[in-house]
Amino acid sequence: MVNETIGRVSKGTKMDQVYLPKLREGLELGEYVVITSLNNQLTKLKKEKPFLYHIKEIESLKLQIIDKIFSIINKSVKDYNNIIITGSFLEKGFYFNDIDLLIITDEKINEDQIKKDIWGKLGLNGDFLVLDNKSLIHGLNSDPLYSMMLSKCISKKRLIYKIKKEVNYKLLDLHLLKSKTLLDSFEILSGKEKYYLTRNLISIKLFLENKKLSNEIVNHEIEKELKVSVNNIKENIIQSKEFIKNYKIIYNLLFEKIMDG
Amino acid sequence: MTQNKNQLIDILIGNLTNAIVHTILEKSIDKQELVSKYRNEVINSYSIAKRYREKINPIDRCLPTVDLNYIKEKLKTKIKVELCLRINKGYQNINLDLVDIEIDNALKLLNIT
Repeated sequence: MVNETIGRVSKGTKMDQVYLPKLREGLELGEYVVITSLNNQLTKLKKEKPFLYHIKEIESLKLQIIDKIFSIINKSVKDYNNIIITGSFLEKGFYFNDIDLLIITDEKINEDQIKKDIWGKLGLNGDFLVLDNKSLIHGLNSDPLYSMMLSKCISKKRLIYKIKKEVNYKLLDLHLLKSKTLLDSFEILSGKEKYYLTRNLISIKLFLENKKLSNEIVNHEIEKELKVSVNNIKENIIQSKEFIKNYKIIYNLLFEKIMDG
Repeated sequence: MTQNKNQLIDILIGNLTNAIVHTILEKSIDKQELVSKYRNEVINSYSIAKRYREKINPIDRCLPTVDLNYIKEKLKTKIKVELCLRINKGYQNINLDLVDIEIDNALKLLNIT
């Protein structure tokens, strides 16, 4: 049986006190008690569990960090549709540089202040994308990178989106142009940058082929089409000649397809 | 593989072409609220171009007029080819008047001019 009562801290001369009614159950004289703030208790009761999408396991420390981030954003943004955490933070281990955050809101928010708060309280850099709901849906329909972002994520509220694929050739052209950098600057790019541009290229390919997008699917396709291991790309230990030859073939095919679109 | 100055300039031109074409294409897209999200990509392209710029002497001063004119002419040609290819395919709202402006901006940014 839990003996509880609600009292209020009141000011005393030398010590503050909490008065208890004489008529009460338990809490006998001389008994030791724990005094805790009612606000904390209410917060614990109200705490919603986040929603995990395509995440098999995640470190409990990361869940605590996510909880704190939600709470920081909750204080700064009065009205939001959702807060979504995505990116390398959700991968196993602690090899991330920053936390990728999507805040879905119609409100204009003070990103700098939120970044400061996250850095101050957690020592982490937050990389924000603030969108209204309409833009998010449009992005999910037409931009392969949005699909990739949300293929593995943790959100404060449930994600319910009906996706109707639209091929926006101008947008895909912009994305593809980014990947051209690898052909021009192969020597100077780091392994991480090469992987990022390759992943971009292959995401566009899969999007145009109407295939589902996720990190695992894209990585598998990279290894199949470019005949290299993803880890070797990231560690920058790939043979340039063969890789560039295969990359160029895919790039040119996609470019033709987009231009014809 | 070490590159000589001319090779480095050609690679720099390639990077700048991508960045400037990207900038001009961005401005032609209807959904501007989406496009603003891609600004970071252009910044990344310029940062890669900057790495090549830092290998071309003189690093701390503008490049000689010969190199500058070569870069400008090559950029104009390459960018116009890329944009015209798209215009011929039916892209609308591509503003070719921006080419010279964006080239000047890019060259100033990289301390080429």
